[in-house]
Amino acid sequence: MALSLTCPICGLRNGYEFRFGGADKGPRPLEEGLTPAQWCAYAHLNTCVAGVQLEWWNHKDGCGTWFVARRDTRSNREVPKEDVQ
Amino acid sequence: MLNQRKRLWDAPPLKSHYDAVIIGGGLHGLATAYFLATRHDIRDIAVIEKRYIGYGGAGRNTAIVRANQRTQENVPLYKEALDLWPVLTRELDFNLMFYNCGNLNLAHSEAALKAMRLQTATAQFHGVDSQLVTPAECKALIPALDISDRPSYPILGGMFHPPGGIVRHDAVVWGLAKGASRKGVRIHQGVEVTGIGVQKGKVDSVETTLGRISTPRVLNAAGAYSAALANRLMGICLPISVLTIQAMVTQPLKPLLDHVISSGGYHIYANQTLKGEIATGAHMDRWPNYTTQTSAHYIKHQAEALTDLLPCMRGVKFMRTWAGLADMTPDMAPIMTGNDPVEGYYQDCGWGYFGFKSCTVAGKYMAQYMATGSCPDILLPFDQKRFEAHRLMGETAALVSYSADN
Repeated sequence: MALSLTCPICGLRNGYEFRFGGADKGPRPLEEGLTPAQWCAYAHLNTCVAGVQLEWWNHKDGCGTWFVARRDTRSNREVPKEDVQ
Repeated sequence: MLNQRKRLWDAPPLKSHYDAVIIGGGLHGLATAYFLATRHDIRDIAVIEKRYIGYGGAGRNTAIVRANQRTQENVPLYKEALDLWPVLTRELDFNLMFYNCGNLNLAHSEAALKAMRLQTATAQFHGVDSQLVTPAECKALIPALDISDRPSYPILGGMFHPPGGIVRHDAVVWGLAKGASRKGVRIHQGVEVTGIGVQKGKVDSVETTLGRISTPRVLNAAGAYSAALANRLMGICLPISVLTIQAMVTQPLKPLLDHVISSGGYHIYANQTLKGEIATGAHMDRWPNYTTQTSAHYIKHQAEALTDLLPCMRGVKFMRTWAGLADMTPDMAPIMTGNDPVEGYYQDCGWGYFGFKSCTVAGKYMAQYMATGSCPDILLPFDQKRFEAHRLMGETAALVSYSADN
């Protein structure tokens, strides 16, 4: 599968070096007043978007850094920031 | 007579009303339509398929069937699915080529053996034939296996499940389509669902590229696309990640594998087709996407794993490789719901890579659900609310690695 990702430290690398960390759902909800539904939404629920999404990646077999990338789930291509609507 | 071929299913024009609309002409959709028509006398059904029937997971899986899952909620479902193959072969008058050659699952660690001990106990409790076997017994089942300590992960034992095996997946698509069509079900290929109309908390219509259909009930059985569809059409978020899973076949060989073999340690499963090819499936690519791209990474992985376990396969060539999509849930168990959040909306999804082995039984009970409006007891545990209640099923021993938290 043709996936290459740009690590902020190591640059463009083979996608199999990375671990997917889920869609970017914003900050972790605060413990105070947290309902099971809110936690479930944060922990499990996805929109399963067919298109560009913001997502977390970890350069597992490289420098180990976590970063947010923009990828089109229909093509596995990274999308530059200015192309995101 | 010889030239007068009759089509297996009709292609009549789209009507403006149906008693039920099924989104997705895959195995779950076709099976539900078939059981609605044959068991519940609801025959005015449209199966709406965006591409052609059997385009998705139905024609891309590795055709393996088995009932040795892990939990008490899942095992009875898969057992019934296994028992349905010979019944449906007779009933549909269509050879589904069910070959119950048995599945041998290999263990490469003490931990894997311990897990298998639990799994065989669960299977036996539910009346499913499954037993632990020693490395020597594995060798007796498949003489080509290397049970020495030479492989990277030597074989410490296994779990043999005699009633499992393989079924020709295309034949199931064609057989169910033919059977459903004979009962009056209309299969509309090349038609896309673009909206679901809701009035006063009830489903009242479905919008398609060929126009509006009024209907009191709709089933979302779009397989890997069902979660995105649920989100787009109904605003529902599901605990699903859609991942690509790759498979490939070798050149045809003389009989070598008399049983399906699988190995969690090597992440492979393989069976020999009736043509002699070794069909083998890999692990999933670990990021959500909707492509069916294949990669050299997994061709290399399959080659290394197969030749490590079966050294006689060295030098054999892969002929073909392909991929399909799997809608994975965090606990690797499906989601089947109805009348939630609106009356008349039903959903059968989250089967991951178990969609083929479960299609007939899921169709049977989803049909009952749609006909009666109340959830059959056997489907009660598969409600989406289990995730909110932190009651995930134990179909996987540990959290799966495509989730955000590990």
